[in-house]
Amino acid sequence: MSLNRRNVLRAAANGFGAVALEAMLQKANAAPPAAAARVNPMAAKPQHFPAKAKSVIFLFMVGAPGQMDTFDPKPELVKHAGKPLPASYGKIVSQFTQGDTPILPSPWEFKQYGQSGLPVSSLYPNLARHVDDICFVRNFYTESTIHAPAMYQVQSGRILMGYPSLGSWVTYGLGSESENLPAYVVMPQPEGTPEGGTPMWGSGFLPAVHQGTTLRSGPSPVLNLDLPPGMTPARQRRTLDLLQKMNELDTEASDLEMAARISSYELAFRMQTHAPEAVDLMKESEATRKMYGLDQKHTAEFGSRCLLARRLVERGTRFVQIFSGGGPVSIQWDAHKDLKGNHEKMCGMTDQPIAALLQDLKSRGLLDSTLVIWGSEFGRLPMSQSGNGRDHNPHGFTMWFAGGGVKGGQAIGATDDFGLYCAGGKYHMRDFHATILHALGLDQHKLWYLHNGRHEKLTDFGGNVIREVFA
Amino acid sequence: MRNGTAVAAAFLIPLTVLAATLAERDAAFIGKRRTFWSYVKPVAAPVPAGAKNPVDAFLLEALAAKKLTFSPVADKHTLVRRVTLDLTGLPPKPEEVDAFVNDKSPNAYEKLVDRLMASKHYGERWGLRWLDVVRYADTNGFELDAERTHAWRYRDYVIDSFNANKKYDRFLQEQIAGDELWPGNNEALIATGFLRAGPEHVVGGNVDEEQNRQEVLTEMTTITGSALLGMTLQCARCHNHKFDPIPQSDHYRLQAVFASTEGKEIAYVSEADRKAYEEAKKAYDAKIKVFDDAVKKIDAPYKKQIMDERRKKLDPEHLAALEIPKDKRTKEQQVLAKEAEDQITPLWDEVVALLPADEKAKRYAIRKERHAVEYTEPMHPGMAYAVANMEKTPDTHILKIGDHKMKLDVVPAGLPQVLVDPAANFPQTAVGRRTSLAQWLTSKENPLTARVMVNRIWQFRFGTGLVGTPNDFGALGARPTNQKLLDWLAVEFMDKGWDIRHIDRMLVLSNAYRQATSRDAAKAAIDPDNKLYWRMNKRRLEGEAIRDSVLAASGALNTKMYGPGVRVPIEKEVYDLIFTEHETDNLWPLPLDKTEMSRRSVYLLNKRTVRLPMLANFDQPDTMSSCAMRSTSTHALQALNLMNSGFMQEQSKRMAERLERDCKGKRGCEIEQAYRLSLGRKPSTEETRMALQFLSGDNVLSDFTLALFNRNEFVYVP
Repeated sequence: MSLNRRNVLRAAANGFGAVALEAMLQKANAAPPAAAARVNPMAAKPQHFPAKAKSVIFLFMVGAPGQMDTFDPKPELVKHAGKPLPASYGKIVSQFTQGDTPILPSPWEFKQYGQSGLPVSSLYPNLARHVDDICFVRNFYTESTIHAPAMYQVQSGRILMGYPSLGSWVTYGLGSESENLPAYVVMPQPEGTPEGGTPMWGSGFLPAVHQGTTLRSGPSPVLNLDLPPGMTPARQRRTLDLLQKMNELDTEASDLEMAARISSYELAFRMQTHAPEAVDLMKESEATRKMYGLDQKHTAEFGSRCLLARRLVERGTRFVQIFSGGGPVSIQWDAHKDLKGNHEKMCGMTDQPIAALLQDLKSRGLLDSTLVIWGSEFGRLPMSQSGNGRDHNPHGFTMWFAGGGVKGGQAIGATDDFGLYCAGGKYHMRDFHATILHALGLDQHKLWYLHNGRHEKLTDFGGNVIREVFA
Repeated sequence: MRNGTAVAAAFLIPLTVLAATLAERDAAFIGKRRTFWSYVKPVAAPVPAGAKNPVDAFLLEALAAKKLTFSPVADKHTLVRRVTLDLTGLPPKPEEVDAFVNDKSPNAYEKLVDRLMASKHYGERWGLRWLDVVRYADTNGFELDAERTHAWRYRDYVIDSFNANKKYDRFLQEQIAGDELWPGNNEALIATGFLRAGPEHVVGGNVDEEQNRQEVLTEMTTITGSALLGMTLQCARCHNHKFDPIPQSDHYRLQAVFASTEGKEIAYVSEADRKAYEEAKKAYDAKIKVFDDAVKKIDAPYKKQIMDERRKKLDPEHLAALEIPKDKRTKEQQVLAKEAEDQITPLWDEVVALLPADEKAKRYAIRKERHAVEYTEPMHPGMAYAVANMEKTPDTHILKIGDHKMKLDVVPAGLPQVLVDPAANFPQTAVGRRTSLAQWLTSKENPLTARVMVNRIWQFRFGTGLVGTPNDFGALGARPTNQKLLDWLAVEFMDKGWDIRHIDRMLVLSNAYRQATSRDAAKAAIDPDNKLYWRMNKRRLEGEAIRDSVLAASGALNTKMYGPGVRVPIEKEVYDLIFTEHETDNLWPLPLDKTEMSRRSVYLLNKRTVRLPMLANFDQPDTMSSCAMRSTSTHALQALNLMNSGFMQEQSKRMAERLERDCKGKRGCEIEQAYRLSLGRKPSTEETRMALQFLSGDNVLSDFTLALFNRNEFVYVP
């Protein structure tokens, strides 16, 4: 099989943003291994072992919801309301408080839901209906009381910026299933970016192709996807044809790097056609749009992003990350004061859309192959700040999983009576990541990249897969 | 204080005071690994016969052993384009191509190389490379990612050093210990910006100071290892190195060299200049305050409205405390009153949301005026983003799994034990530790420094290093593909006084460098990865060089040197990614002088959390760790950027206008000139035909120039 342009293009029809030549190269046996790896970073790769999850939707609540206000009820707080934390705790220093403020009970009631009877606070009336699909893990911890480092730890395993993000590792490990769309899509809050900024979805030392692509709804979902002003599709196609003909003149048959460049232009052109369709929410039925809350002011924006996530996953996108919150403090979960107002606003924006996402994925048979994650960089303290808010608590907080082989209707781990520290065992972000990789059929120890002399891994020296999470 | 060791002599601590067990454990851990190839001093083997240039002689010897030989020399057009892009990062001008092609003298190529090496662009090109290695950026990184207002002087220092052919030993000594070795020398002071080039977490609140300090020290230790020694000392932060003879104590011994070093902005101006600056700054601050007061005045009634409403909703306890006059509050009431104030004070956006349209417009008009005045902020006449020694030198502990809360043994300052006699003395005073490190690094006894640098020069010119892992000369790193050549170059480098340009010139003058890139299936079967250099490697240009080449071809390039980092326009999508909790107008002030936006890429503001898509897509390093070698990924976002971005559209039009002007509408001339400006050659008959056919439809000349900018030939060094 010769490596002429047509073959290259045909073979390249597998994976946005990169050029898939692997199958052809194996047959042609024409290239040295180093070159093959270089032209083909995004071809779909097999799992290390069979596993249900094929894609991930990670819902990141920026600024940190309180665990005792959402999914981890702490009745003890009522008894201690207004009193200081027991002296046995010592000094609890957070970013702004010193631990000497009084206990603040949760302003919300908890009720039990579903067959499992798991408790959810009244902040989440819609999501509560899905507890039987959800596995709560109540004893995660991070290692910084400051947002950005803790965010980096959730995203990359380290409190430092610059390490490859979870989504980058996943696409590095599994490649892309999508023909025309980015493999790793990021949708920040329109009002602004989270504290950690773009390094939260950066590829670090992995090749640039693995960085998250920010995507927005509307006619111009990806940067530079639009035709420039005044350009027509026909004129651009002819420009592209001229370019490709010129490139063929000076491309030697065995030069895969040049061939890869040629096909990257075809992929770009195809994406210009397909991506706007993928993000066109008018293609959805009115019932679906309504289910996600697109007809209501407070849910429309986050609902659109959740619906987009489903459309992308359906079309083969590997990893979708959605941030709830970012930019001004008023649009983050960072309730240093007015916990009640803040959480009611933020939950109001997200509760119905997240519930709809779970329901929609389930009814389309996509929930089995899609791992949905909900979480944040930390939780909040049981003591008050400013009288009616809470400071940061990285010592013990809740994240949850659904779909992708997860056993729903259970809560794993616990925090102490005050919801401050983990009680019994606790899980590091290494464990969080090991568990996600496991769900995707990736062995954390086999997923490495040699950088500056070190076999770098997402879980560094290894995390514990939380086996109970899975059915 | 040229000789730090002499001053320090009275305070020397013999290493034998170390807990014997640790020293013994380390010795046992290192064991017989002192003889690993890179830890043994390089020796220059005799140059094999048969070639004038030693580089060729060594390569041909290795090729012959595999029955291979060099490929033919590339044609003159290729050669002039290759060496001009390599040495300056810019494409050759048409007249420069003509001059070289028409120069039939036997030393035409040497003359070309010498002209290029004398160009100021030579230092800019090297600057970009060195800044990759030291992970230079203009901001701190992390959430606030604040600009380092004075850091650019280090970038300029690097460019100047390469342009002046500063000898590498001096270059390193200045960067490690310029302040100690040449007190009062501004250049040497600015050079220490090397130790602060990496990211640093700067944020308010109750931060863990000790943890932050550990990260700062780790950055200094790691960069010294990877950039200067090709040693992965960072791997020994948490435990003994898994593959190399670097015990964990070595990481902390080297860290202890920096134990008294702290980052500091140091002014180096005359009293008169300082005063003039301070006065100008005071006047400027006063002007700004007028605007801020005006905004506050607009906000005040609305802020009060919110506060009054919220006050009503306060619980009785907080309200009561707030109503007690400030000076009459008990301690408890003070706390409650503070909380009450926190509760009722609105955020800026909550106030702005209440403003009626006309007030809002007025408010933003004032802010706009303020932003206009911000351009007049006086620049400090001389401030180094540098380091200084603190008076006290805290003890350095080995940290269990790198955690500052788990301190183990105290270790003295020292050097990697596998490279020195562990019993040798090292100064333990606050001042002089870095001097000793710098002197050891640049001593001819050091087996690594010279090898690592000649390998970088090689990798820069040939695309791959003789050691394929330029930051790792350890067990996991690649073995040299030609150690005799590497060692000969290292010894030559040191013997000729650490002369970078001497080695660089030898490489680009070699026949190896001048070979064609043509592929050859038979040769590839023997050496598929071209480890023996039987042909020249084609290399993709960095995003920076692609941008600079586009500007050069369009005629827009502004070759002004130096100064603070320049902002270029960014798309709204990118602007939105700048993190702030405050107002979002004017987060990215563009230069008033539009020609500034066409400066060379090395002068663009390098912001750690906001990367320019054109550069990031082409694998610009993220400046978080030392970049040994840029990766070359190929993906569709590059194509979208090079076809559709505002910059490419603007420059392709600009080039079209240039062609129309120069050729007065003659098609043939336009096509020929477009090829000469972008690719440094005339089009072939077939290429001319294709272009004419293309332009006979409704495609315009700027579509054609855009296609040329996107061509493989344009973005690759031939």
